[in-house]
Amino acid sequence: MADWQERITRETTPAIRAEHDLRYRLAAPLIAASAGWADLGCGNGVAAAAALPERPSARAVLVDIDERVVARAAEELGLPDAVCLAADLTDPDALRRIGAELLECAGERIVTCFEVVEHLSSFVPLLQWSVELAREGAATFVISVPNDAFWSIQNPHHLSSWGEGAFEELRRLLPREQTLLRQISLTGSAMIGWDGEPTRYELVAEIGGERAVASHFIAAFGPRHGELWRGAVATQGDVLGQRRWERQRENDVALAQKELDVLEQELAQARAYVERSSTWFAEWRAYIHELERQLSLPLSGAGPDELPEVREPPAESPQDQATPPQ
Amino acid sequence: MKVIFLLNDLQLSGGVGVVIQHARRLSAIDGWDVTLALVREEDAPSWVGYDELPHLHVCSREQALAGHYDVAVATWWETVFTLFEVSADRRVFFVQSLEDRFYEDGEAERLGAALVLDLPVAFVTEARWIADTIAALRPEAQCYLVRNGIDKQVFGPVASLPETQEGLLRVLIEGSPSAWFKGVHTAIVAAAAMREPHHVTVVTGERRALGDVVADEVVGPLSHEEMASLYGRTDVLLKLSIVEGMFGPPLEAFHCGATCVVTPVTGHDEYVVHGWNGLLTDWDDVLGTARALDLLARDSDLLRFLRANALETARAWPSWEQSSQFMAAALLAIRRDPPPLAAPAAASLLADLRAGIEIHGKLLRERVVFYKQARRLERIRRLPLVRLLLRLRNSRSLKLVARPLRPLYRRARRSLA
Repeated sequence: MADWQERITRETTPAIRAEHDLRYRLAAPLIAASAGWADLGCGNGVAAAAALPERPSARAVLVDIDERVVARAAEELGLPDAVCLAADLTDPDALRRIGAELLECAGERIVTCFEVVEHLSSFVPLLQWSVELAREGAATFVISVPNDAFWSIQNPHHLSSWGEGAFEELRRLLPREQTLLRQISLTGSAMIGWDGEPTRYELVAEIGGERAVASHFIAAFGPRHGELWRGAVATQGDVLGQRRWERQRENDVALAQKELDVLEQELAQARAYVERSSTWFAEWRAYIHELERQLSLPLSGAGPDELPEVREPPAESPQDQATPPQ
Repeated sequence: MKVIFLLNDLQLSGGVGVVIQHARRLSAIDGWDVTLALVREEDAPSWVGYDELPHLHVCSREQALAGHYDVAVATWWETVFTLFEVSADRRVFFVQSLEDRFYEDGEAERLGAALVLDLPVAFVTEARWIADTIAALRPEAQCYLVRNGIDKQVFGPVASLPETQEGLLRVLIEGSPSAWFKGVHTAIVAAAAMREPHHVTVVTGERRALGDVVADEVVGPLSHEEMASLYGRTDVLLKLSIVEGMFGPPLEAFHCGATCVVTPVTGHDEYVVHGWNGLLTDWDDVLGTARALDLLARDSDLLRFLRANALETARAWPSWEQSSQFMAAALLAIRRDPPPLAAPAAASLLADLRAGIEIHGKLLRERVVFYKQARRLERIRRLPLVRLLLRLRNSRSLKLVARPLRPLYRRARRSLA
């Protein structure tokens, strides 16, 4: 079935990985200069590990709803001493716990929260908690949300929709000292030697203008909101992987369609069986009632509304087709 | 968190509906106690059309005055009169439109509705254009944006576009015909001026105010579910409003697979993009609007393109659940922050009051001049000779005799004027 890639793994397509890497690179200078770093919705830590070339010296608090992935993130980042918390970010107590861990670090603190808000059933507790800490000067926050208006289909994993308007609603709830950024998708191509020798290119790309549609919106707030890194990331596309993924998707859709056809066929058979049985029962009932009337006996059997539910259609054979007496 | 929303009444309307949607969802949050207070004596039956009301705490103005609240929220300019009578730690005005625009020049309410924006309160509004206007008028005031959500249970969004009817454009006109700024009659005239085959449905709860109009069907009042079903059988929603707040109906239509032809009214820019998900038509341009509708009737590809993009716009629009989270966050922020300072508000209020007094004074002076002119004319009219002439004016035989003198009379009138 369709892979929504809500968790970043090594198998995630390069384009999505580059987007995620870039967000961590944005915060990298702040993480490097901080005494404490909390990563809310850290996932497997693959993107953060790729974006942070050196192991962060900051005390890390890694948070995710899934306990297993938090441990994996600590491993991926090479941070065995990281505080690993499995927490629901809609729970104010859990947020207080995260805050307490973070505040134990004396000095600058940074909190990254990328592609998390849209997965929460309520973002109000997270918003309140983060604004409070930022206003106190206790931590700098960097958060991102996707531009859902950019997609033509609904993401089943997103519990809230984000676009320019929703981001504007959010922006007005944040402290006035804030930095806002738009993340833009890139496309490109490169030439390499015939032998495919790895090559490193420095690229110049003109980005922005009227046609620049944001794929994500970024907001930073707190004492060091203005110190975000700005730049772009380009990575080699995985054409083979993409083709495999597309074929796989086509295959999955075809299989699902086939399964659906079979189920629909079964449903039609079951419906036909119920209809036949109902007619058959009705005819028998009418015949028995007629006999009972002739014998002046009270009418027996259940009424049409009280008939037992037919659970399983039996295998059809001509012998099974009982006919009521004429 | 104890919150009270002040409402004039609970009559079925867009503005009241928005408040009820928020109240219902806020009251479902742990630790929130939400009350709706009716601050005006009701003059018509309430509750009609709101399924959520039985689950909400509704009280009278007197009961509201007896309580204490963390946040009190006025929801219409007249309810602001009660806002400062209620005991509350913070006061909020939930601005759903610039309500002075609902009144015509010279109406006293116009000044009242404008002045309430100068009060020392925090603002919450549902449209960016209102937030920008408040920021321009009151740069020091807190103003939060909480856009209206859409009831996704009722208004889709549909999985795929409903089929169109071959060779017939189904046009829907919606709104209150008694509200001059909704442009309902103009829309009906524009639809009637179409040349291509069409079917016009008018939805209104006020049949009498609608009068005799050229439409294939007049229905209403309709429940939200019935409205959604009707949108599903519509190709294009025609709205020629002059004043709107957040401009919700086209968005509801988008969810059900219809596009729109609308004026560039305030609020449209939140989601209507000309040529992408709808068409914009100019002010008072009845024939231009009819041509836009004819174009959609002729060009089924364009119609389908607009409808498909409208549906895409709808999919990304937030639900009421999300909208009310923003409302909760805004009210919590307002409670957390210190109350607004009175001095800047007073300065703004007095400046507007002075401007209002000047306008009112000018109107009064004009009235005095007109009164004097009227009295002079009245004195002339009472003169015996003039009375005789006025009587003779209606005489048929004299009219025949005086006909040749008409050009002379006209020239004399012109020179007098």
